[in-house]
Amino acid sequence: MSSAWALGGPAIPVVLTGVLRRHLTQGWYTVIAVWTSLVGLVLGGLVWHLLMQGREWAILLDVTNLIAATSAWDSVFWLREHPRMAPHRYYGWWSLFWAALLGIALAHNLALAWLAVEFSTLTSGALIIEVGDRHALEAAWKYILIASVGLIVGLIGLVFLYASLRYQALGWATLNYQNLHGQFPHMAPIIRTLATIFIVAGFGTKAGLVPFHTWLPDAHSEAPSPVSGLLSGVLLGLSLFTVVRFMAAVPTAGGVFLSGPHLLTIFGTLSVVVGALALLVQRDIKRLLAYSSIEQVGIMAVAVGLGTKAALSLALWQFVLHAVIKSSVFYGAGHLSVLYQTQRLKKITGLLARHPAGAVGWAVGILALAGLPPLGLAYTEWLIFRQLWQHHAYLVIGLVAASLTVTFAALAYHLMRTLWRDMDALAPASAASEVL
Amino acid sequence: MNTFGLLLFLLALGLLWSRTMSYTVWFLAGEGVLLSLMVWTAEPLTTVTVLVGLGTLVVKGGLIPTLIHRLLRTWPAAFRRDHPLPLWAYGTAVLVVLAVSHVIHLLGPTGVIHHTLLFLYALASIHVGFVMIVARRHLLAQLASLVAIENGLVVLAVSLAGALPTFIELGLLIDLSLAATLMVWMSHRIHHEMQTTDVITLRRLRG
Repeated sequence: MSSAWALGGPAIPVVLTGVLRRHLTQGWYTVIAVWTSLVGLVLGGLVWHLLMQGREWAILLDVTNLIAATSAWDSVFWLREHPRMAPHRYYGWWSLFWAALLGIALAHNLALAWLAVEFSTLTSGALIIEVGDRHALEAAWKYILIASVGLIVGLIGLVFLYASLRYQALGWATLNYQNLHGQFPHMAPIIRTLATIFIVAGFGTKAGLVPFHTWLPDAHSEAPSPVSGLLSGVLLGLSLFTVVRFMAAVPTAGGVFLSGPHLLTIFGTLSVVVGALALLVQRDIKRLLAYSSIEQVGIMAVAVGLGTKAALSLALWQFVLHAVIKSSVFYGAGHLSVLYQTQRLKKITGLLARHPAGAVGWAVGILALAGLPPLGLAYTEWLIFRQLWQHHAYLVIGLVAASLTVTFAALAYHLMRTLWRDMDALAPASAASEVL
Repeated sequence: MNTFGLLLFLLALGLLWSRTMSYTVWFLAGEGVLLSLMVWTAEPLTTVTVLVGLGTLVVKGGLIPTLIHRLLRTWPAAFRRDHPLPLWAYGTAVLVVLAVSHVIHLLGPTGVIHHTLLFLYALASIHVGFVMIVARRHLLAQLASLVAIENGLVVLAVSLAGALPTFIELGLLIDLSLAATLMVWMSHRIHHEMQTTDVITLRRLRG
């Protein structure tokens, strides 16, 4: 299937917003949502047989379109709740962001993937700027600056790869994954190692891996909620799977110091630990979800670091389930913050009494993220543990298991505070009743 | 070619050293002109190299410095100067430039380096850019560092591979134009909303 065909999907809303500009009324929001869903269905149908074969790019393409469609539907409601937002500019940048995500999912060339990831930074950064308040400006500045610097580091790795194969005189096709895989034995080991370090660090910045994650909580919490869903659910995973594609094309021996799998295991474990600990102290509902994303991407990176076919499949499943769950809870968090007129967790309480249906949905989403069976992430996480056990990665098991316990406790604590009345407010009342 | 590399490195040092943002604009424009000259002289002139050189001149020598200059003109004098460079930045800059020679020593046997001296200047310019992005506090100085790092990277590509593929060169130019436009727009908005150009004040998002 031609990539250009897939990119036709976002092109229509871009043209539509360009033509209609200020005449883009609320009815058009639904038209864009219907169009996005149709594109997802048609492309999903076209690659159905590949999806059934478990082809990675078909799964990434379908997940991208699925979350884009849900994001488009949520945008319909979100824009009604935020009338100060300019809808034509929102949808213009949103469609370009969707195009960038499709570009990453479909890229068969490392340079093309790099350009698409960088383009995704700028388009999603523009969406954060569009929010327009002080916090959003600060978040967008950090996001664009840190992600761009990270990606330049990745580009240094690309230049080394290209230089080591310049004798082929293939131009940018030198960096096709297939060509890289055919030629990697001719590269000097130090070039492969250097390129791997730069590319893992560069794309790892966009994947939100610790210690390159500092932009993520700010950007994901200040972005419009439908965009946060795409950022957390799709972009992080796509960036990680770009690293996976590179590592498959230019393998370095597993278990060797500073090899690709080794780096991903270290950064992945760090991400799980830092993400879990940060969950305990969060005061903002969307930052809570952002740190949960760091923890989840960390689990995917640990699985990828094992390098086996089974572990890679599990990482892919983890990505799919996380994309669906995280985007849904981000949309929910956006509406909750409108309902309560705040993003402060301390003030978002008593949801069960105020909005029972919303409370059930929120509880299911948060418990799924916490890893509670029978919700999907529990199984993929369990199976990743099994893979780690089979590979005798006991230290990683210990750190990740302890972190997941902390994650469960932190998310359960925040969930209970959200569902029932403000427990802090209850404390003095009960103390007073005891005195009486 | 090496002369261009040396001049670019000196301009990168100028960017790091300069507190006055109007000098920064000139240093950036100088880097843009140098890079376009490098594109035109690195390889035999073809339609593609002429176009890439022109694109470089327009974006890096014209568009980005002009955007910064036009924004600076609207700000009072107090916002057109950066804070002094911290002492540690001088030491770090010297250390990272010295570290480049070690990288050359490591990569020498692989035969990947095409022009050793140019590679030295390019990698040193990139390192100076990284020091600048950490040490400088003015919003537009950080944007200038980003452009300077990217400029160093283009020279690095020339020293290693002769040039980057045209597709990537053009993609980078489009990417940089969009990034610079967004960052200049954000600088304007941040100054307007917060009455500051100091990145140290961007610390509201915590916890």
